Amino acid sequence: MFRQTSARRLAPAAGVLATLLIAGCHAPGSSSTPGSGASAGPIKIAVVDAQSGQLSSLGAWESKGAKLAVDEWNKNGGINGRKIQLDVFDDTGDPTTGTNLARKIASEGYVAMIGTAESAVTIAMAPTLQQAQIPNITSGQATGLVALKSPFLFLNGPTSTTYDETLAKYVVDTKGFKSIAMITNNGSFGKGEHDAFLASLTKRGITPLSDQVVTTDQKDFSAALTAIRQKNPQIVFIGSEEVEAGLIVKQARDLGITAPFAGSAPQGTPVFASTAGATNVEGTIVSSPYLSNDASDASRKFAAAYKAAYKEDAELHGAKAYDGTSIVLTALKSSNGATGKALADAIRATKYNGLLGSFAFDDTGVGIFATKIGTITNGNLVAVNS
Amino acid sequence: MQVFFQTLVGGLSLGAIYALVALGFSLVYRTMGLVNFAHADVVMIGAYVASTFYMSAKLPFVLAILVAIVSTGLIGVFMERVLRPLENKDFDLMLIGTIGFGIMLEAIAILVWGATGRAVPSPVKAAPLDILGVRIRTYSLVVLAIAAVATTVLILFLQRTKRGTAMQAVAMDHEAATAVGIHVGRSNAIAFAIGAGLAALAGGLAGPLLYVNPTMGASLGIKGFAAAILGGFGNIPGAILGGLAIGTIDAFAAGHFQGYSDLVTFLVFTVIIMVRPTGIFGERTVNRA
Repeated sequence: MFRQTSARRLAPAAGVLATLLIAGCHAPGSSSTPGSGASAGPIKIAVVDAQSGQLSSLGAWESKGAKLAVDEWNKNGGINGRKIQLDVFDDTGDPTTGTNLARKIASEGYVAMIGTAESAVTIAMAPTLQQAQIPNITSGQATGLVALKSPFLFLNGPTSTTYDETLAKYVVDTKGFKSIAMITNNGSFGKGEHDAFLASLTKRGITPLSDQVVTTDQKDFSAALTAIRQKNPQIVFIGSEEVEAGLIVKQARDLGITAPFAGSAPQGTPVFASTAGATNVEGTIVSSPYLSNDASDASRKFAAAYKAAYKEDAELHGAKAYDGTSIVLTALKSSNGATGKALADAIRATKYNGLLGSFAFDDTGVGIFATKIGTITNGNLVAVNS
Repeated sequence: MQVFFQTLVGGLSLGAIYALVALGFSLVYRTMGLVNFAHADVVMIGAYVASTFYMSAKLPFVLAILVAIVSTGLIGVFMERVLRPLENKDFDLMLIGTIGFGIMLEAIAILVWGATGRAVPSPVKAAPLDILGVRIRTYSLVVLAIAAVATTVLILFLQRTKRGTAMQAVAMDHEAATAVGIHVGRSNAIAFAIGAGLAALAGGLAGPLLYVNPTMGASLGIKGFAAAILGGFGNIPGAILGGLAIGTIDAFAAGHFQGYSDLVTFLVFTVIIMVRPTGIFGERTVNRA
């Protein structure tokens, strides 16, 4: 009895569902005639970044910075009358997810990709993007990115080599520190930082007192930090992302390590400071191309727009993504909405004066070759006059 | 020697968290024979609820954790209620059901709190103790003490109260238990609720040690699950010992093998499990469905 009624009730519902499905299948098929999609309608740009997981703060900053640039261009009429459509994809910080997304954006007609903020993911995606001829502006800084030699890969900031050479120059040459310990993680970013800083130290004839490597997922650093404490270094170099670096510094202070830490981009972020605790990061030396929102008129304007849009303070990663996105949009404009190889060439030819400095891309896809040194003083990152 | 003891201290303080996670896994398993794959995400929800009430509502830390325990306890009851029709019918579906709950909880956390996560300031402001050069965080001592108390209360509940012994009976033979008038469903619900409460306790306590975000459950869950297996799945003291063991192995592996520590930790785990498939305390009485 019950079964009969439910079956009778289901019949029309199933009919409706089937109609919906047919209609649903039909719609995208009819609208996606490839030829017309490329030259009319909005220009599609993809942001691929971790929107979930431990690295999601990077992804959030980056998509906000990119969106800010796109919104400004759209407000001014887009590119040759075409609007720019920015879509955000979540790679969860995972290279496998990243490669799947690379195929997805290649098949869905995106002309360029912003991201990712994780070198490992970008490196995994690069071959697919190169094959599909989609220019990619990454926020990664690992030297492994440059080693790929992909003509479609561009960095929106300096590489680890620049960050760490500037840092070593300040720490060793200016401050005269000789006893230095290192703690880095074995991820793509951490490995790049480790190799770059170690190379800069070796060049100056310095061997680190202790060279500790941790995993990217580690939570307890007692063993590594105790080994460092026993060497009593003047300064500890840290090569790890925001959250883990924050945990390392917090535990280091609990273990009685009083030496200041030194690092690059992640150490200048609010997430690093809040994870470690404000008093624990005091005195941290940071090598970064974007120390504060007050550096120039351009950065003040950017920071004000960022604050107005998202009710939070701008920082390096948002600024990098803003610069990178602006470069893509400038290249799209100058090339009359080109795609593929022509767009990559246009990006390479773009000279852009951005928040991080003056961009002029070389053959390796690196556009900027300088960072500044700052220290965390009273909770703020303050530029050092050197 | 200093490195040895410092590593041990670090390992034990995280081990206490793993132990609490393992307790929840074991309790549900011993009662229902079910591995609750949503457990790790309940830990995360607990951490979020506790940190929200501690940081935003400015409740005292202990109170915030209690709120978290109660709310995740309710989630546990809800989960059991949804899964109950499957009990003794389709066990695989029940397992998949818990996985589904886990994914849902993670999605809900992202909706409610965002994907970015937050750092929780330590509620214990006292400076670390310094014993012969080995520094012990005062907060870690608090965590260890709470874990010890929670275990004792749980064991007393299971052994000394009528409800607890009823749950033991269900664990041993649920048909016989039904025959003598024990409500199996209710017993399961209580197991789920207590398990979820323990998860919240673990998550809440882990907050100030770690970083609270929607995927924090993953690594705590894996280590906690390994801890439960190591101690003898379903065994309560075993879960505690397993947790402390995993924490310590992990800490020493990190010290000696640096970047390869995870590999070494789980190699050691595998070897122990190969030698003693039933774990240290060798309990694996539950075998249902």
